[in-house]
Amino acid sequence: MTLDDLAFRLNEYSGDEGTTFDAFVTERGILEVVCSNDDEFPIHVTMTETQLLSVTPLFSTSEVLPDKQGELNDAFLRLSPAVPLSSIGLQGDTYILFGAMALSTRLEVIAHELAVQAENTIDVLEAVEHLLA
Amino acid sequence: MGVLRDMFTALKGGANEVGEAIVDANAIRILEQEIRDAETAIASAKQSLTRMKSSEIKLKREVATIDADVADYEQKAVKALNAGEEALATEVAERIAELESERGEKAGEQATLDAEVQKIHAMIKARERTIAKNKRELDKVRTVQELQRATESVSKNFAATGSSGHRVSKALERVKAKQQGWQDRMEAGEWLEHQEAGDDLDAKLRAKGLGDSANTGASDVLARLKARQAG
Repeated sequence: MTLDDLAFRLNEYSGDEGTTFDAFVTERGILEVVCSNDDEFPIHVTMTETQLLSVTPLFSTSEVLPDKQGELNDAFLRLSPAVPLSSIGLQGDTYILFGAMALSTRLEVIAHELAVQAENTIDVLEAVEHLLA
Repeated sequence: MGVLRDMFTALKGGANEVGEAIVDANAIRILEQEIRDAETAIASAKQSLTRMKSSEIKLKREVATIDADVADYEQKAVKALNAGEEALATEVAERIAELESERGEKAGEQATLDAEVQKIHAMIKARERTIAKNKRELDKVRTVQELQRATESVSKNFAATGSSGHRVSKALERVKAKQQGWQDRMEAGEWLEHQEAGDDLDAKLRAKGLGDSANTGASDVLARLKARQAG
């Protein structure tokens, strides 16, 4: 499976949960997916030899209120186990929500994971919104 | 040593951009070299196994031939004994003894070969473990590199829009407004369904002459006018 295949199949996809996707591969070879339940925070999908990685960049460290980064990190460490299917991490200066799937994952499962990740993004951001500038 | 510690040091040190070394290039080369070495070793081990298999088949065939010869000579020895040819029977018995010792040697060779085969299988397994482990290590590096790539383009946008402030809050508001819009439309849809269902019921009642008389007939109007005139 290539990212182009996945983009094509996601655009055609319509699951039981009613989520639809707009997916395209960027010039840099990253699959950008916008879920119908959250079009503000697109998910970036990429792959290694063994996994599909889905990344939602949340915000940069510079958007955190002064002196609140410690509190934010603490909140994320505590929240992370409660967030289904996604992990929270720091990539460079950007906080990200991300998930990983085996390359052999079925399309229905990929679609479900992406829809959940889009939902998680809103939940997580709501939980820490008060710590952001 | 795993690559995680290496990566942690590099990432903490600020190797955030795509293309920056998150792991010492040498460490990657060593992992890749070990994979190649293990693959070469496995390939030659498999060739050895094939050669050993042919030796094993040859040995088995030889042992089977000896067994057949022994059985044959035993019959002949018995015949010689029965014929009273004691000296001849003794000669045959000596031949059988020779064959049996030869068979013992072959069996010894076969046991050695079996042990070799076992060792090679164990070696292949160990090399396969090395390959799998190194591939997992490389995948960790690749994962971080891919995460960098996937994050980079957007985080640059953050820098551009972040200055206006409340970027996240505004985005959340927009998403929630949209979700509220869907919710409203859904509720509106449900309301309409109820209405339509209600209309159906009223129509059914009227058909049976039990509903409100929404369609008043001319006779009703006339009756009403007459009543008014009389009053």
